[in-house]
Amino acid sequence: MEKSITLGEIFLTFLKTGIILLGGGYVILPILQSEIVEKRNWLTLDELYDYYAVSQSLPGLIAINISIFAGYRISGKFGALAAVCGLTFSAFWAIIAISAILSKIVSNSLVQGVFWGVGIAVIVLIFSAVREMWSKSVNDKTSLLIYLIALCTMLIIEISPVYIIIISAIVGIICKSVRKKQGKK
Amino acid sequence: MINTLALYFNLFKEFFQIGLFSFGGGYATLPFLYDLTNRYDWYSPSELSQMIAVASITPGPVGINAATYAGMKAQGVLTAFIATASEVLPSFIIVILASKLLKKFSDNFYVQSAIYALKPASCALLSVVGIQLIKNELMIQSPQQGAGVILFISFMFIAVLKNKDPLWFICFGGLFGLILSVFGCF
Repeated sequence: MEKSITLGEIFLTFLKTGIILLGGGYVILPILQSEIVEKRNWLTLDELYDYYAVSQSLPGLIAINISIFAGYRISGKFGALAAVCGLTFSAFWAIIAISAILSKIVSNSLVQGVFWGVGIAVIVLIFSAVREMWSKSVNDKTSLLIYLIALCTMLIIEISPVYIIIISAIVGIICKSVRKKQGKK
Repeated sequence: MINTLALYFNLFKEFFQIGLFSFGGGYATLPFLYDLTNRYDWYSPSELSQMIAVASITPGPVGINAATYAGMKAQGVLTAFIATASEVLPSFIIVILASKLLKKFSDNFYVQSAIYALKPASCALLSVVGIQLIKNELMIQSPQQGAGVILFISFMFIAVLKNKDPLWFICFGGLFGLILSVFGCF
């Protein structure tokens, strides 16, 4: 059965997923469950959940990571490529079209009013995302300390977030290693 | 010619880094996109917030939409493609490597320890973006400042009490802004 899956089918399936997918990466799980597990039997549900779990501990966007996992499992590297292209295709062209229109109408005062209000909504969305990330990541004293140090550093000095990420990864490994050794004693 | 090539290279470098270092979903790319406004003139901080709004209401992952938009602002369709593809490339490489290890990879002690510290740090980075946007949009004296603060506080209350859809906030925010501008507040 697996032999008969063409790259075109993979592309179209993920194209459909990309069109339905609005907003964040977590929404992709139920969509993929229906599209590639239930309707097409390309993966088992367990495989999909494994990919989802591992995607969260990988860098990059969760939706993209799951799609690459799934595409790769279905049809190798080209399957992965077809999945990513499908997933991002509609989003890419939608943004190209919108940004072309936006630059023409943005000087209009009504449009500026809309964007002012939308801008405030965006800040609220960002703090909602912060709250969600907080509940998943800050659950003991060490993680709270890491949060506070990263926050203060970024507020005080202008430093690229890349350094914060690299340093915090190293700090995490050192902390856990020390704790592991103490545990053994 | 050299300028154009330099632009392509910088876009590739920056968005590859974003793909490689952002942990925790689409909004985790925002601190990096914000940081770019300090170093390049591809888009301004206020354009960034328009970008996030557009990304939140368009199909597709927010992080990808923002990359496309930023690339488009930098020059055109080609740079939009470079930015988007560069952001996906690290995922592509890492996921294919991780596919072979899967569970072993995410259960690995070093991976887990790094993630343990990365997640609160990513959360802090996003908090800083929120704080900076408040400074830019609500702390600057303007005729609509008071209305903005009221709108923000009521939205925050609604966000905490009821888990409303992102689209809801975008629509109501836009509508409120539209009404204010009809009454000549801008």
